[in-house]
Amino acid sequence: MNNDVVMVIVVATALAFDFTNGFHDTANVVATSISTRAMAPRLAVTYAAALNFAGAFISLAVAATVASDVVSSGAITPTVVFAGLIGAISWNLITWYVGLPSSSSHALIGGVVGAAFAAAGPDAILGDGLVGKVLIPAVVAPIVAFMVGGLAILVCYRAVGRLKPGQVGRGYRLGQVVSGGLLALAHGTNDAQKTMGVITLALVANGSLAAGSNPPTWVIVSAASAIALGTYSGGWRIIRTMGTRIIRMDPAQGFSASGAGAAVILASSHFGFPLSTTQVISGGIMGAGAGKRVSAVRWGVAGNIVTAWLMTLPAAAGIGALTYGVTRIFGTGSVGTIVVAAAAVALATAAFTRRVRAGTPVPAP
Amino acid sequence: MLATIVDTQALLKTIAASFIAGVGVTMIFSIAVLGASRFADMNRDGRPAAAVAFGLLGVVALLAAGAAVVLGIIVMTRK
Repeated sequence: MNNDVVMVIVVATALAFDFTNGFHDTANVVATSISTRAMAPRLAVTYAAALNFAGAFISLAVAATVASDVVSSGAITPTVVFAGLIGAISWNLITWYVGLPSSSSHALIGGVVGAAFAAAGPDAILGDGLVGKVLIPAVVAPIVAFMVGGLAILVCYRAVGRLKPGQVGRGYRLGQVVSGGLLALAHGTNDAQKTMGVITLALVANGSLAAGSNPPTWVIVSAASAIALGTYSGGWRIIRTMGTRIIRMDPAQGFSASGAGAAVILASSHFGFPLSTTQVISGGIMGAGAGKRVSAVRWGVAGNIVTAWLMTLPAAAGIGALTYGVTRIFGTGSVGTIVVAAAAVALATAAFTRRVRAGTPVPAP
Repeated sequence: MLATIVDTQALLKTIAASFIAGVGVTMIFSIAVLGASRFADMNRDGRPAAAVAFGLLGVVALLAAGAAVVLGIIVMTRK
């Protein structure tokens, strides 16, 4: 009975995380299209939500990595997964509150790693998987996106540099509808799978699923729905940071940036690397800006984003470990999980209300 | 040490695929934009033969870009 209550809370928390992931990362997917006026904001967000949903069904390689390559399955309990999720959600909300596009993916992995460490010590962490499948791709992917975005914009300007800007702009805006759609598809593929992986991890730990199983269909459908709903709800604060504060984009740059991001994320999903879509698309945007003119990139804003990236894994891990400790104060039953879940909902509601009362400084464009 | 931890082959394939898809599709689509733009210019200048040539170039490049995107998605779904 206790286990069932904890599992229900874990699944609800995982889906809540998935919702905040979509909410938080909407900016990554639609910022370039909105910023260059390739699509109206609400249409862009709806389009991204639909393709996020579809993308979640494309592959399960990333879910498998999250479920089996980062932490030892022997050390995982539903409470550990719950504490990890609270760490990730907390960090997502903090960065949303201050308008920073940090990585939901690394927050999730950091949270789970921190909680597993607190529960079972360093042996619970699969260092090889964490470094080889998460940390190295995390460093490589944004650099590749930067280079692809930079090269792509040089190719664009080389091909159309002498043509009339109006005609060219219309062409690339049309292209952005496709490249932005691909980016949404890629985001759904890579990010929804992380939630599927975490729920699968909890189901295996609870004995509801055999080790090594793929996520059940209900997990895939619910994760796809949660991320799509989150994306539809949108996060306008981060859209502004991503869409206008790093660089002011022209349609060719928007096309190059989203194309670079989609190419890197889809290729990485194929090989099971759970990378950060935020980092990748930020790399693509910076590359498309630097390819035109290095000084076009607002490196101060870019620096803030990099700082948030560096803090994400350790901060989420710290909150995950702390949450696990607080949960265990109430013993091994479901009481601790219920108390922490209630406190988390209250804190999140308070933060959201405070932000709304303070006035949303970034209205939907 | 690092080489044993990292699946170097998968990582290199990811990087290669990202460059080929990202830069390649951008190049092909840019040719489509070039073709469409020049088609409009040539049409306006009363040069039908050149307009048809650029129009064809644009259509072929657009089809090629579309095919590349579809192929990419099919490859992704086949693992």
